[in-house]
Amino acid sequence: MASRPPGKIEQEQSDQIIEVRGLTKKYGQTTAVDGISFGVKQGEIFCLLGPNGAGKTTTIRMLTTLASITSGEAMVAGFDVSKNPASVRSSIGLVPQELTADDELTGRENLLFAARLYHLPDDQSRVRIGEMLSLIDLEGAAERKVKTYSGGMRRRLQLAMGLIHSPRILFLDEPTIGLDIQTRKKVHEYIRGLNREQGLTVFMTTHYLEEADELSQRIGIIDEGRIKALNSPSALKSEMGTQILVLQVSAAGEDLTEFLKSVPDVTEVTKRGPGLYEVGLSKVEDAIPVIVDGTVRRELRILDLSVVKPSLEQVFLQLTGHSLRDSEALSNVYGQKLQIERMK
Amino acid sequence: MSVRDTLVLTNRSLTKWVRNPAAIMPALFMSVFWLALFGSSFNPTNLVSSSIGSQLPPNVVSQINSQIQAQMFGGASTYITYLVAGVIALVVVINLGFGGIDIVLDRQLGFLNTLLVAPVSRTSIFFSGVWQNFTKAMVLALATFIIGLILPDGLKLASGFGPLSFVEVFVAVALLTFGFCSAFTAVAFSVKSIDSLVGIVNFLVFPLVFASSAIFPSSSFPDWLKWIAEVNPVSKAAEAVRLLIIDGSLSSSELSTLEGDLVYLLAFAVILTLLGVYVGRRALAPK
Repeated sequence: MASRPPGKIEQEQSDQIIEVRGLTKKYGQTTAVDGISFGVKQGEIFCLLGPNGAGKTTTIRMLTTLASITSGEAMVAGFDVSKNPASVRSSIGLVPQELTADDELTGRENLLFAARLYHLPDDQSRVRIGEMLSLIDLEGAAERKVKTYSGGMRRRLQLAMGLIHSPRILFLDEPTIGLDIQTRKKVHEYIRGLNREQGLTVFMTTHYLEEADELSQRIGIIDEGRIKALNSPSALKSEMGTQILVLQVSAAGEDLTEFLKSVPDVTEVTKRGPGLYEVGLSKVEDAIPVIVDGTVRRELRILDLSVVKPSLEQVFLQLTGHSLRDSEALSNVYGQKLQIERMK
Repeated sequence: MSVRDTLVLTNRSLTKWVRNPAAIMPALFMSVFWLALFGSSFNPTNLVSSSIGSQLPPNVVSQINSQIQAQMFGGASTYITYLVAGVIALVVVINLGFGGIDIVLDRQLGFLNTLLVAPVSRTSIFFSGVWQNFTKAMVLALATFIIGLILPDGLKLASGFGPLSFVEVFVAVALLTFGFCSAFTAVAFSVKSIDSLVGIVNFLVFPLVFASSAIFPSSSFPDWLKWIAEVNPVSKAAEAVRLLIIDGSLSSSELSTLEGDLVYLLAFAVILTLLGVYVGRRALAPK
């Protein structure tokens, strides 16, 4: 459901490294992914944003050949996922939601194992492992067993394991789940650096709005197995989000609700308290002078006037009818519990 | 399938195993308990002397004892000598069964996915599971054999037992182990939770071991059980091992029994391996 005009798709097709058409996944009667279509451009960070159970992980599983496709088609790095899974596997790296590094092995040994899985010759791996360790700042801890690592160190190691064979596309499934804010920022820096310096295409999923907003060039908002919108974060916000003006005037005096409603471009007025109004605006520039003028003319003193920029949260709410944060605490499967145990 | 991939994967599992030597202790204790405690307390060759022995002349008691040992226990000089083959089978089967827990954990912790997205064949992944458990089980089998030798009044090897007999004993054990290993590995790749694996293993292990001549000679079994014990590969392996450790130098009829047992075990291993590859590959296919 890309918002581009159809003619443009043809023109851009050549630089699409992932192309998905009508991708559907059913488990028995349940439809996990419901006929989604999108493209990912070479060298971009593309993010699938949605609550738990929206179909993000199922989509990643299909694109990385882990799950079969019920209907539709997906091309990854120029190969058909269903017909040529082996070639897809050689071109991609996956950093799964779970932490899969072995506790009993050292960081370096885990990387060496990952390199051998991708058939890198050992002398070449040694060089590559050195590079990866310095990239993720784990040189000092390379000879320590992973069971001594913190959650953030494990995450970084996981990232390096997914990158060891220099894949063309890196798939990240919830790359910062369970991390504290500082560590999350650090992981963001690595991802951004890889994308900027090495031109790596990143396909990621997240249920953190800030993550999608900060990192990605384009976001696909997914809910109940369908893509509800797809665009750059700023375009999504300006297309969807109404801006909110918060106006605080001296408490005594005339009620402004009727006046504010009469101003052009005002979509909604809510009185929050004595003299405190929240005004929804479709266009800020034209409305503000009219509101200020009208308020002053009514001999009311303006104590505060601020514009709240539309957030992805609002966009999400508007598109799906529910807040992303409500659905965060939902799933609690055994595997996830184990993961949390491991990260302690 | 690539042998190199299988080795890389097996190497990872065995490195973890070697670094955690405490993990082998429960299995070793099981061998010690079965041989030292069960083998000494439940000693059927002592039944006569310890019950009506005092009412009979000593030479009659010793005659009855040697008759029981010769007729029922293939001439084993101690019950532990008879039992050792059975305990090896028991320890091997139980550990192969529960060895699958590592495989289920690899799936639950997402590790299996990192293998499945790598350019590694499903068959290589399956065989890495087989080899890791096979190696562990063979180490335990050897340890059980040695524990039997160390125990006082334990395993007494026949005078003709040479290096070749030793190799033959472990060929029989290896064939039995490989067959069960393929089967249990396929089960482990097919189930999603440790609970179901434990359920299946518990359901299989005891019939496999007790419906065989592993612990007790099948000559005293009721007919229906005798028939099951007869075709049970555990009995065949136990029979082969006993021929070698009790008799040492084999007569031509014993030699042909041994050959028959080994061929039977080879066929068992081949069939279960083919079946295991089929089931294992299906379980690893994208769903």
